[in-house]
Amino acid sequence: MIAFIGRSFVQKIITLFFVSVVSFLIIHLAPGEPSQVDPMNPKFTPEMVERFRRQFHLDKPLHKQYLLFYKELFTGKTVSWKDNQSVLKKIWERFLNSLPLFLVGTVLTWTLSFPVGIHAAIRRGSLFDQGSTFVAYFLISIPGFFFAYLLIILVVTHFQVPVIGMRTFGMGAASPVHMVMDRIWHLLLPSILGATGGIAVLSRYVRSQMLEVEGQDYIRTARAKGLPPDEVHYRHALRNALLPFVTMFGLILPGLIGGSVIIESIFSWPGMGRMAYEAILARDYPVILTVNFISAVLVLIGTFISDLLYMVVDPRIRL
Amino acid sequence: MTIKRLLIFAPLVLSIILLQSYFWVPTYEQQTRGNPDRLTTYVTASTGDASLLNPILSADSASSEIAAQVFEGLIDRDENLQFRGRVAAGWKIYAEAYFYVSPHMPPAGIDTADPQAVADLIRSAKTSKAPMDPQLRTTLDRISDITVLPPHGFTATRKAMDGRTPSTTPDIHFTVAAPARIKLRLNEVDQNLFDRLQHLLGDTYFKSFESNRFLQSDLPLPADRLAAYAHDILPATEQNPVIVFHLRPGVQFHDGHLLEADDVRFTYAAIMDPSNLSPRTSDYEPVKTVEVIDPLTVRIVYKRLYSPAIGTWQMGILPEHLLNREALRQEALARGLDPESFSVRDSNFNRRPVGCGPFRFREWQSDQYITLDRFEEYWEGPPNYRTFAYRIIPNVLTQEMEFYAGTVDSYSVQPFQVARLRDDPRFQNFSGLAFGYTYIGYNMRREPFNDWRVRLALGMAIDVDKIIAYVLHGQGERITGPFPKQTDFYDNTILPVPYDPQGALQLLEEAGWKRNAQGWLEKNGRRLSFTLITNSGNDIRKSILTIAQDAWKQIGIDVSTDLLEWSVFIQERVNKLDFDAIVLGWSMGIDPDLYQIWHSSQTNPNQLNFVAFKNQAADDLIIKIRQEYNHQKQVADSHRLHAIIAEEQPYTFLYVGKWTAVLDKRIVIKTIDTEGQTVFERIRPTQTGNFMFYFNKWIKLPDVPVFNAEG
Repeated sequence: MIAFIGRSFVQKIITLFFVSVVSFLIIHLAPGEPSQVDPMNPKFTPEMVERFRRQFHLDKPLHKQYLLFYKELFTGKTVSWKDNQSVLKKIWERFLNSLPLFLVGTVLTWTLSFPVGIHAAIRRGSLFDQGSTFVAYFLISIPGFFFAYLLIILVVTHFQVPVIGMRTFGMGAASPVHMVMDRIWHLLLPSILGATGGIAVLSRYVRSQMLEVEGQDYIRTARAKGLPPDEVHYRHALRNALLPFVTMFGLILPGLIGGSVIIESIFSWPGMGRMAYEAILARDYPVILTVNFISAVLVLIGTFISDLLYMVVDPRIRL
Repeated sequence: MTIKRLLIFAPLVLSIILLQSYFWVPTYEQQTRGNPDRLTTYVTASTGDASLLNPILSADSASSEIAAQVFEGLIDRDENLQFRGRVAAGWKIYAEAYFYVSPHMPPAGIDTADPQAVADLIRSAKTSKAPMDPQLRTTLDRISDITVLPPHGFTATRKAMDGRTPSTTPDIHFTVAAPARIKLRLNEVDQNLFDRLQHLLGDTYFKSFESNRFLQSDLPLPADRLAAYAHDILPATEQNPVIVFHLRPGVQFHDGHLLEADDVRFTYAAIMDPSNLSPRTSDYEPVKTVEVIDPLTVRIVYKRLYSPAIGTWQMGILPEHLLNREALRQEALARGLDPESFSVRDSNFNRRPVGCGPFRFREWQSDQYITLDRFEEYWEGPPNYRTFAYRIIPNVLTQEMEFYAGTVDSYSVQPFQVARLRDDPRFQNFSGLAFGYTYIGYNMRREPFNDWRVRLALGMAIDVDKIIAYVLHGQGERITGPFPKQTDFYDNTILPVPYDPQGALQLLEEAGWKRNAQGWLEKNGRRLSFTLITNSGNDIRKSILTIAQDAWKQIGIDVSTDLLEWSVFIQERVNKLDFDAIVLGWSMGIDPDLYQIWHSSQTNPNQLNFVAFKNQAADDLIIKIRQEYNHQKQVADSHRLHAIIAEEQPYTFLYVGKWTAVLDKRIVIKTIDTEGQTVFERIRPTQTGNFMFYFNKWIKLPDVPVFNAEG
């Protein structure tokens, strides 16, 4: 166990190093310049562009830029080129904004997909099964932004309530209960939209896992010995069907930082995804690279956690 | 079965918690009608967030829009785009000119080179009633004062210009024994001053001044290099335009501190401070000195004639007391940062600015909103709105929904929506022309674009009116030249290139291009073929690409097209001058200075005259326009330049886009007339289409007002 953890840790550090090098190279070798050194603005003289490049260390060779960047990152000194704000502070603020969206979305996904998937598996071929299959494929196929527009137009025109942003703009002085409920309301649509794809995919996955397990011999044995059907489905079958999802649980961790660019832009949600996307457009290298690095760390931690979890729940792989 | 129950109840409970929140949310009705504050708040939306709320540092439109409300410049543009005083109550432009009196060469007409005698010569010419060249007479009339400055010695230091990197080049020290100099004070700038004076002093009087005779260098230099340095250190003639601004007394910053001349000087110094990395330095490079005469007077002397300089004083004035060395040092120490490297760029001032504009900063929630409160002590009286809110809504459709719902007061209409929203009785609408235009540019270094007939023929083959009608949904106008169409620099008498494919074929035939058996145009056995490129991500340019390709194919030109990602397009093709023809657009300022886009010296890689337009007459006019301080003369020269460019057709000028904005109909202009009565008027745009011009007088009424017919 300890050896496994140690080995895995070393491996992950090495991976992280390569990720940092590759992402640094990709971003620097991609065409395009930070908007501060935009050569198409007639007001920008070559001397000014030069001064910006010097300030941003862009005039140095790539390996020096790499060292400088990660030195600043680890000492927490990295600042965004856009507004000279500390990158870590910016990311932390946006992370706090994206977190509720992520949590509600994830909880919705996981709480809704299991009942739907299990039910569809148990009543295989029923109207419910066919209906849920249709809805699932429909939700997978419909483009998220389009669905978002439809929902917004529907809610705004029929219910006459605001849905944009993290809270109602200009609400002024209202009671704390109103404030909290207002926040929850604003979470609702974007997290439903964020969850639809997940629910559709995960419920299909649950269904097929359940079907596979239900076909096993031990299930037949359980049924044959006269256990009530619920006992068979929910105790014997479900437990075994859950195994693969343990791994998935670790892998949702990176979703924390990714956020959803499209949903956040449509709903004016001041989250991580939107910040990263805008940073890419403006070639704000410090922000892009830091987000990239943190998400790489989270992916690695996520895989590490799922490895551990798997070892805990499935004795077969405990070697 | 607990698991089963859990699986059913958990999602149910969660859904109920989430859905019931609907009943607690204020409806739009409650927000817009039930909230009295809403009527005194103006809410606008932007797709992007601001970056730095500091006019000297930001270059993005969101930051500039906020800075325009929080900060105020010395001057701005009035309804007719002429300058008017803001923080400056008034200003005066005059010039100080100098020339060295060569002791070795007397001017024409007298036999002594004594400086007093030269000065007297000019004085007597000025008072003389004898008939003379009328141009010389005008110039002499402008001279208000003549003084002789005695000879003086000084030392000067210059970097050796020998191609090594600046840090390793040695300094060269010069000992200068400057001869006497005559100083002329002119009551207005005259770019022909010295040419005209040569009528009086002799045709080569200034040219024959040998500055290298008056200095010595500590390093041995070849004669031509010495002459170059000498010319730089002791220029024979010099004319320094001077602007004196008289500040309005009693103008306050939002923290109550009085705005004084020191703040103006500080703003200039902050822009020029290299550690602040201001993107505006090039505007202020021609400034020689900024002197504080008294707390309400600033005198700005320029190194050379550069008329766009006046417009640069629209820059918002920064409060010196909050950003000077000492204030920055305090802030750096308080935040635990290194005070040495801490610049204005790092200061938190840029996130909570203090200016002297009509609105004071209240709050900025990144990527959500920025709110401003009106400044009660604003020198022109506080605005009618109490609050200015700037919401950041990155998606245009959600902006539109919020506008319909009443939580945003204005909406910039997309071209395809104009026909629908213009006639909507709920809104008032405004439209106008953009500052800028879209064009097809030809690389004139390459065949066949070096022939003006080919360029003109290519333009004649495209039906621009149809592009405007179908691609832009009618939201554009034709444009014929390089100036913004709503300024008077643009000559409206110049007619656009007509749509005439037959005429185009004739012109091409004159240029030697004839149709071959397959219908392609050919010259000396070579087919007329080239590639038209533009950047991806702009649907309108993409459509133009297709339309132009098709139109040119119809007259037998083999055109291929390509769409490139913006940065590849700019860096690899435009900057490296590697293209045949491009579809691109310029956005313009009001000033008629076209040096960077059209002067023949700007045709190198990475410069903006990438089509390689070279025309001596145009070059002369471009220089003349940027040195001319008289608006009428600038207009006349601009019209001449416009005609030359329209004739040469280095671009096929396509169109200038039209914007339309819709506004809640309840927003009106509220003023108090001389008898103390409150008067409501409909919002009226200025001649150039700017409907926000009277923004400080706007207010929202509870109900849609009904105006008299004449209103």
